Amino acid sequence: SGAAWARGLLSWARPERCLASGSLFPLSCIHTSTSLQKIGKWEKKNRIVYPPQLPGEPRRPAEIYHCRRDIKYSKDKMWYLAKLIKGMSIDQALAQLEFSDKKGAKVIKEVLLEAQEMAVRKHNVEFKSNLHIAESQTGRGRYVKRLRCHGKGMFGMMKISRCHYFVKLVEGPPPPPEPPRTGFDQAKEYVQQLRNRTLVHTL
Amino acid sequence: VLVLVRSPLPRLRALFQRYWGWLEHGLWPGVFGGQSPPWGPTLAVQGPDLVPQGINDAGESSAEAPNLLESVVWMAAPKHRRTIEVNRCRRRHPSKLIEIKRNIDVCPECGNLKQKHVLCGYCYAKVKEETRQIRMEIYKKEGGPFNAPTVETVVLYEGEKPTEKDEGKRIIERARKRPSWFVQN
Repeated sequence: SGAAWARGLLSWARPERCLASGSLFPLSCIHTSTSLQKIGKWEKKNRIVYPPQLPGEPRRPAEIYHCRRDIKYSKDKMWYLAKLIKGMSIDQALAQLEFSDKKGAKVIKEVLLEAQEMAVRKHNVEFKSNLHIAESQTGRGRYVKRLRCHGKGMFGMMKISRCHYFVKLVEGPPPPPEPPRTGFDQAKEYVQQLRNRTLVHTL
Repeated sequence: VLVLVRSPLPRLRALFQRYWGWLEHGLWPGVFGGQSPPWGPTLAVQGPDLVPQGINDAGESSAEAPNLLESVVWMAAPKHRRTIEVNRCRRRHPSKLIEIKRNIDVCPECGNLKQKHVLCGYCYAKVKEETRQIRMEIYKKEGGPFNAPTVETVVLYEGEKPTEKDEGKRIIERARKRPSWFVQN
């Protein structure tokens, strides 16, 4: 029973997975994390299980959600890095982050490598380079207020800011970038708007 | 316009209180922005339009007040709060975004990424580590500082014999196979 308990502790408790696979180990359905540690919404996104695809349907690309919480960095500064790698392939993103001088670049690189490894091991991704970054966001972490001493006995309150970083990797090559809106496109849209006008309250 | 008072030191506080008192009593010419007629003794008129008695004192004190007031520094301050839309336009302007680097290549030796104008980090670290080991061997041989010999040094790896070119040179032995990138003369 000790071995079964250990197995239950090690294997993640996911009731829907247990029932779907027809598992013979009911002990693995106990949850291992305490209720006080709230599991974030982003982490839960990895747990959705789609019904099996019909034979004619195009293959649904694999989606991998990963995040890191409470990084000691500012969310606004991290946002610039998140904006940089949005829409790139994972190799290009790793290359850009490796040679970036920012502190958050190192953290994001670690997150991407972790996510890549997770994709290959758990999410049935065949080629680790065949991933692109569909979404990359930053969020505000928990701030802590501290005293900052100035001269002449003055003080100010400073806030120690932390941030979260969220990334969604999708299998497949990165989508082509949207062509920028030219003046010609805007003119065409304007003319179309004019043409869409109708007479109201008439026969 | 904001009058900036830096810290509540007693002298500045007294000065500030004096100016505030003047402002409340309407004796501060700067409030009207120079549009009011200048202070000074005027024709005394009987009747309900009598100017208050304190004008002479005000006239005398106003002569000093502008000198002191002109020495106060008026600092620029924002009048309105910048909205988040305006802030976003500034923060997300393309000049503030990070540019993507187009000078990243693959190192032909080790296959890691490197910048075109910079040495490959991996290869540099490899060479640095080997140099450190060689320096440790040198230190062991010399036994202390200021013992460097006046002859050249040659590094030999396992299974290597000194050639006739290495006649008068100091030999440092390294207990490993010669690395491929360290070419022997």
